[in-house]
Formats: sequence, structure tokens, C-alpha cells
Amino acid sequence: MQQTMRNAFDLRRYRWSELFLLIMPSLFILLGMLQLQLIAQNSTGKGPTAININNLPAIDVLAPQLLLIVALLATHVALSWLVPNADRTLLPIAGMLSSMGVLMATRLGPDLPSPEPRLGFKQLIWVLIGFGFCIATVFATRSIRWLRLYKYTWAVGGIILVAITLIHARNVNFDSPTHDQLNLGPAGLAFQPSELLKICLVIFYAAYLAENREILALEGRKVGPFYIPPLKHMGPLIGMLLVALVLFVGLRELGLALLIFGIFVSMIYLASGRLAYVFYSLGGFAVGAFIAYNLFSYVRDRVAIVSTAFQPDVADNKGYQIVQGLIALGSGGVLGQGFGLGHPTFVPAVQTDYVAAAIGEEFGLAGLFAILGIFMLLVYRSFRIAVRARDTFEQLLAGGIGSVFAIQTLVILAGNLKLMPLTGIPLPFITYGGSSVIANFIMIGLLLRLSTPAEGDQVA
Amino acid sequence: MSLSFEEFLLVLRIASIAVLYLFILQVVLVARRDLAVATVQSATQAARSVIGHLVVVDSGSAPLAPGTTLDIVSPTTLGRAPINTIVLESNLVSMEHARIYFRSNSLWVEDLGSKNGTFLNDQQLAPQKAVAVRPRDILRLGDVRFRIVP
Repeated sequence: MQQTMRNAFDLRRYRWSELFLLIMPSLFILLGMLQLQLIAQNSTGKGPTAININNLPAIDVLAPQLLLIVALLATHVALSWLVPNADRTLLPIAGMLSSMGVLMATRLGPDLPSPEPRLGFKQLIWVLIGFGFCIATVFATRSIRWLRLYKYTWAVGGIILVAITLIHARNVNFDSPTHDQLNLGPAGLAFQPSELLKICLVIFYAAYLAENREILALEGRKVGPFYIPPLKHMGPLIGMLLVALVLFVGLRELGLALLIFGIFVSMIYLASGRLAYVFYSLGGFAVGAFIAYNLFSYVRDRVAIVSTAFQPDVADNKGYQIVQGLIALGSGGVLGQGFGLGHPTFVPAVQTDYVAAAIGEEFGLAGLFAILGIFMLLVYRSFRIAVRARDTFEQLLAGGIGSVFAIQTLVILAGNLKLMPLTGIPLPFITYGGSSVIANFIMIGLLLRLSTPAEGDQVA
Repeated sequence: MSLSFEEFLLVLRIASIAVLYLFILQVVLVARRDLAVATVQSATQAARSVIGHLVVVDSGSAPLAPGTTLDIVSPTTLGRAPINTIVLESNLVSMEHARIYFRSNSLWVEDLGSKNGTFLNDQQLAPQKAVAVRPRDILRLGDVRFRIVP
């Protein structure tokens, strides 16, 4: 412990670059809040018509959002003390994306069809809890081996949680967007176990594949030009995948089913380096998609909407959300309408499913590209941590987490842009919602830990 | 200096987007500096991806001849399980016994929670605590002893 204390206060080894990177997220929060404040004043007629340095709003009206800056700095100090050598870019990236999320929730809340003036504050609290979970994860994984040793516990635990939700969901309305939440207690504290299942499955796959990668990569027979994988050793992998898929199709969460499937394919490819697995998985996907398409009407609906959204009878009905989303994006243009000046709340469920359209309308193509760039940096850093990891399990875990962020962003953005059927999956850190924010911060915590040399690393 | 309300909002809008891009630029700069450090390291590593050798001093009950030289790559795992880089078929060696890896210009050895312990110069290593090793150190896993040579 003394060693870590000394590291934290050794100024040469202090995480200066992380502090430096936190400047821009803080500035972004301040600019956004200033903009919202001015527009609010102006719409009540009390605002100034000309701006000079003396009639800017006082800083105290921005107080709640300043908490986010304080929390970012506090997390930064905690990390300097716990993991002085961990990756310096992850916290600023997560901070920037969640500032965007908090600002968007603050801006959208009061304008929603059923106004929720405290939406931004709620999101802020979730982000603060997320920072707490991030630090707790870094602390709890000082020795990361226990994650690997209890791999079946994680997988089975996650699946049981989701199964409980499925039983619970049978007596709720499937058309409500929150049907996959588990309500805990009378306070209406809802959380989505599927977010946790995602992490559990990545840990399980990483642990199982780390033990069996040689078998998957080297064994198996060749029949003519076809490679037959050693199916016996893939039993647990495919078993977990099928259970998760059945659960999510049962919950009508196609996005999550797609995400889980994507994690499976990327991780098995990362572990074995064999394209054969990718081709077989895609084949399995085609068969599964065909069955689901014929079996469930809601799957057919989602697919049909993509091709017919603009037909008059669809655009006012089932395609309304997609059409409004595209109009919002289009009206943003290159530089956007300005934060707080657009009308993104014409899009139903804009704070959850369509937050990318709101960003596109108010920050424009330029802003949306920047957010995409930040996601790319996040994925790049995850894979970089994977490349430099100490053993196969850590490599696969970091690579798997990187794939989760990449697939989630891809699936929801493609859905919003009408490139593929829309599925309600959160845009990491930005979409309003507690469980998703917390799960993402747990993954950031894991990445921070994976990027650190082992606890006892010291020159003997 | 005084701006009209609309002009000021335009300035704020452009500033917000500029901040996002400046942030990307900053992260890329920090990431690039990391990359430069890593390139130097991997260049010195690529020159010889074998970063050291283990010479068997006492093979115990493992089927190894004393004097055999084994290569260390980063990371090298040692143990009885067949997936290890160096497989030691001795009953006193655990399935996953220890690992050796290269970090910050030094070799590190870490015990993976083995049953009979890993000893560096007859000092037992605490499980999961990496310790830097120097050339000519004696490493003992169960009843197998190695000398570390560059």
C-alpha cells in the first residue's frame, strides 16, 4: 500500500495526460449548459438581446452539471491512487460520451411529450453511480484470476437473472419499451439484467476460450475443402449462446440477441484465428433469422418497416419513428440547429432509441461524426489493451469488451439511419438509462485493470 | 464587445463542435506518444523475440535432461497442463504454475497460485505478485530448478 501511495504522489508518474484530457469534456459541459441557459432565459422574454461579458448567466445556475466535472476529477484522483499505470485515455473518453448523455437528457427531458424536467439530473446521478462502479471494479479485480475461475457462475447467474425477467415479462405489455426491466422494490427502481448478462457472457467466453483455444485452432478434421470444428469442445460455448438467444427472442429484444451473437462470433475468431468459424456462424445466423422471420410477426414487422417506411400509410403509423428520425437528422445539416434549438422530441422515444438523431439534429453531421470518432478511439484503445495483455484470458476479455462497444454502436446507428431493422439497444454512455450506463462503466473499469501491470510489479 | 443573441449562439454552437474535435485530437496525440514508446520496445523485442533462456539445473521428476536450454518468449507460462509454453511433467508442479513476461525493460516472474510454490533464489514468491528477475537467478518450481540466462 505504501508503494501505491508513493506512486500517486510521485509527480513524475502522476497521470498528467489524463488530467489534460479531462479539460475538453469539462469545457463541453460548460458550453452546453451555457447554451441551454441562454435559450431558456430568452424564451421567457427575460434574456438579453445582445450579449457581453457582463450579462452572461451566473455560473451557479449550472450547478448540478458541475457535479459531473467534480466527479470526473475525483475519479481521476482515485485512479491515480489505485492504478497509477493504467490507460490514460479511457476515463476522458467515457467522461466525454457521458457528458453528451447528461446534456442530451437535460435538454430533452422538459420537451418530451410527457415532460420530465428532472431527466438530466437522473442521468447525472446514474453517471455518478457509474463512476463509483468503475472504481469498485478496478478495486475488486486487483487479482483478475477469480473472474476466470468462476466462469460458469457468471454465465449461469446472468442467464438466471434474464430468465426471471422473462417470467416477469409475461404479464406485462410487450409494446411498452420497458418490458425487459426488472422492477425492484416499491420505489420503481428498474434495472435491465440483460446489460449484466452481456458482461457475464464476455467473461465466460474469454475464460472458456482461453482454456480451449489450442483445441479450437488446431484440432478438427478436414472433409474435402470443408473444415469440421471439434464440436465436442464447443458444447458450452454454443449452449450458452443458444440459451441467451432464446431468452432474448422471447423478450423480443432482437438488438440484444444480435449483440450476443456478435460477441460470440468476434471472440471465437479472436481466439482461434480461423475464418471457418465466422462462415459457419453466419450460416447459422441465416438459418436462425429465417426461422425467426417466419415464426414471429414482430420480426416481419421490423424488417418490413425498413423497406416501406416512406409509404403514406406506413409513415404515419409503424414507420413514424424512423421517418421522424431521418427528418431530424436531415434538418440538422452539417453544423446542426444548435444545442437546444432543434425539435428532436418529434421523434418518439428520442431519449432512448433515437438519441443519435437528436445529436444529428442539434450538433449536425460534424457533431455526429465527432461522436463516432470518439467511439472509434474507445474501440481502438480496447483492442490495443488486448494486444498488450499478459495472457490469453486478458487478451480475449479486452478484445471482447471492445467488440461489445463496437457492435452496440454499429447496431443502433444502423437502425437509426434505416440501414437495418431498428432494434432498441442503447448507444453506449449516451442513451438515457441507468443499467446501461452502469454496465458500460463496469467494462471501463475492467479495461483499466487489464491495462495495468500486476499489482505486485515492483523492481526487486 | 457586444454580440447579438443569435451571433453568440452561433459562436457557442461552433465552439461545442470544435471542442469535440479538439478532444479527438488530444486523445490521438496521447495515443501516438504511447505508440512511439511501444514501437521502441517492440523493435528491441523483435530483434530477438526470444527474450531469455532457462537452463535446467535439476530436473527433479520431470523428463528433462539437466543442462537443457529452453527459450523464454513473452509471455511464457510454466506448468503441468499441456497448454503451457513450457510443460513440466512433474507431480510437484501445478497445472498452471508460474509465468514469465517482459515489461518495462525487465523480465518478471509471477507465481499463479501453485500448490508447491515458486522460489526465486530460495525465496518463495507470494501468489500473483510479479517480481523482477536478473540473469543467473535460480528459479525453482516444485522439484525443478532452472537458471535464468540472457
